[in-house]
Amino acid sequence: MAPAELRSSKSRSAVSILALLIGAPAAAGVLRVNVVDEHGQPIEHVAVYAVPSKPVAVAAGAANASMDQAHSAFVPHVLIVQTGTSVLFPNNDVVSHHVYSFSDAKTFELGLYKGNAHPPVLFDRPGLVVLGCNIHDGMLGYILVVDTPHFAETDAQGALSLAGLHADAYQVHVWTPRLRPNDMPAVKEIVIAADGAQSLTFKLEGKLLPDRDRDLRTSSTLPWERY
Amino acid sequence: MGTLLTRAAVAAALVTLAGAALAQEASDRNRFELEIDASYVAADSPFNSWTERGLGKLRYSESNDGLKSTRLLALYRGRIAETLSATVIADYQDDASSGVDVTEAYMDWRPIPKSANQQQVRFGAFYPPFSLENAELGWQSPFTYSYSAVNTWLGEEIRPIGIEWSLHRHLGFAGSPHELRVFASAFYGNDPAGTLLFWRGWSLHDRQTRLDDKLPMPPHPIWDYTGAVVGYYDQTVEPVAETDHEPGAYAGLEWRYARRVLVQLARYENRADPYSFSGGQWGWDTEFTHLGVQVSLPGQLGLVAQWLEGKTYWVQGAGANGTLTPFASLVGDAFSGKFLLLTRLVNGSHRVSLRYDAFDMHREQGQPAIESDHGDAWTLAYRYEHSAHWSGGVEWLRIASSREPWEYYYAAPEDAVETSVRLVVSYRVGTAPR
Repeated sequence: MAPAELRSSKSRSAVSILALLIGAPAAAGVLRVNVVDEHGQPIEHVAVYAVPSKPVAVAAGAANASMDQAHSAFVPHVLIVQTGTSVLFPNNDVVSHHVYSFSDAKTFELGLYKGNAHPPVLFDRPGLVVLGCNIHDGMLGYILVVDTPHFAETDAQGALSLAGLHADAYQVHVWTPRLRPNDMPAVKEIVIAADGAQSLTFKLEGKLLPDRDRDLRTSSTLPWERY
Repeated sequence: MGTLLTRAAVAAALVTLAGAALAQEASDRNRFELEIDASYVAADSPFNSWTERGLGKLRYSESNDGLKSTRLLALYRGRIAETLSATVIADYQDDASSGVDVTEAYMDWRPIPKSANQQQVRFGAFYPPFSLENAELGWQSPFTYSYSAVNTWLGEEIRPIGIEWSLHRHLGFAGSPHELRVFASAFYGNDPAGTLLFWRGWSLHDRQTRLDDKLPMPPHPIWDYTGAVVGYYDQTVEPVAETDHEPGAYAGLEWRYARRVLVQLARYENRADPYSFSGGQWGWDTEFTHLGVQVSLPGQLGLVAQWLEGKTYWVQGAGANGTLTPFASLVGDAFSGKFLLLTRLVNGSHRVSLRYDAFDMHREQGQPAIESDHGDAWTLAYRYEHSAHWSGGVEWLRIASSREPWEYYYAAPEDAVETSVRLVVSYRVGTAPR
């Protein structure tokens, strides 16, 4: 498959594709979410996903995603996919990588490679998959595998909206690598009516950890990975 | 024996290389690079360079400055298997101990982690992971051309041949910004370490010792029974040599918080028997504690600091032929070196670095109670990465020092200010230019 067909998922909602494929239902709800820190400041790049009470199978057209490697970093830093998605790991660097994960949700290893040397990896269990490279200790990436097609990341204003939600009860989760696992906000339960719109605000309590993705772009002054 | 060990290490590395080359079907698993550094150096010093058996601290003094090929470097890193790599770094030098030789030759085994613990085993001839300046392959520094006094000495006299185990993990949870690395090594060789530091004193340059190097030093005085100097003999040091067939060790731990703060604490002991003599080299019982700190500051500023403090015990009055003179005695010299470096990277390709060094060495046990070296240094460098192939820069270096034995040993002035200005053009070519 051509890379252009792969969904980057970071900025794009899977819902629109889903809606196109199955024919958008006449009535669909919207969930708007804001994420702020304890001082009320918006937080970017926070993953939000709404899990419906009635399971929604992954749509055929949304079942592929890609986790690139460029400048010895995983791009995107956090990839959100629905359970059942296959992810390609193209290495666009001049150096080889050796990608692995020992996470419970998916344990795998892609032996030393460049380009598209390995077939896609199927993520068939929900949970957090932490990625590493056995050559470059500093490389760290995440694949968040969720049981829903309704997910997105907050923008620079700390906001996002999930459209195309069927009337149902939803559990809304928030996840970010900038919080310790125990500090993650509690799940919120909402009911979306047909054509209904809901708004939620999540306040992140606890100290925010450094933004590693941003650090990668700004910390080049010093060599953090010694030969 | 020391030479035999180093030759065995080099031979093993070369056999590994040949094997690796034959086993390769994918060329992208091999990284091969060549780098040529050409410098124009203008030095000002009352002494000739130590590389010419002079009393000067600079690599180049008025007697040998001008247009120099400061380093001609070849490096190779090949993947023999998924988790096994071989690295060989060799260079050509035309001063101190000339010719082509190997600075590092080692293999790394990194098993795929089955838990949060990432482990690595390194064996061969390598540097301990102490230097925060010499972070690039080939133990090169991205900051200044002349390394700090501390790292110059590590590059000159610290080169174990042995095995190093290290473990890296994120603390608390996967992806935690707190990372810990612990490392430990047992090694042979490196028994004469400390010799050059005492006889010449601290220095700041970028000449790394190769495995078979025989480095020049100021001549060894010959005293009569009254303590008067009646003559000299030439002496050289082979820092990699093994003299007592007993292993040395180092160990340390490193904590880092994201890409913002790094702190390393380590201990090195070569555990040499100071009465051991082999292949023209005496053992020097050298040990030190090392602390390194690196901090990312706002505004693309970075701070690097290292502090090293230790002692070396050796036999004063030991003969060049391995015999002890009637007045030979065990003496202990304490040494310390530290530096603070500030660096700023502009637009990813221009770098300005300023460093202050301070260093000392003095007698702690035995007579005479001399302070063999005391001083400081300032280094200012600008470097520019023009392309993947071309880079260049300029460096100003000023070392002010006082060496008490200079008058007593050589009837030379104790105090000296030595400066050098260096213009550098580097050309790099390889399979994976940085």
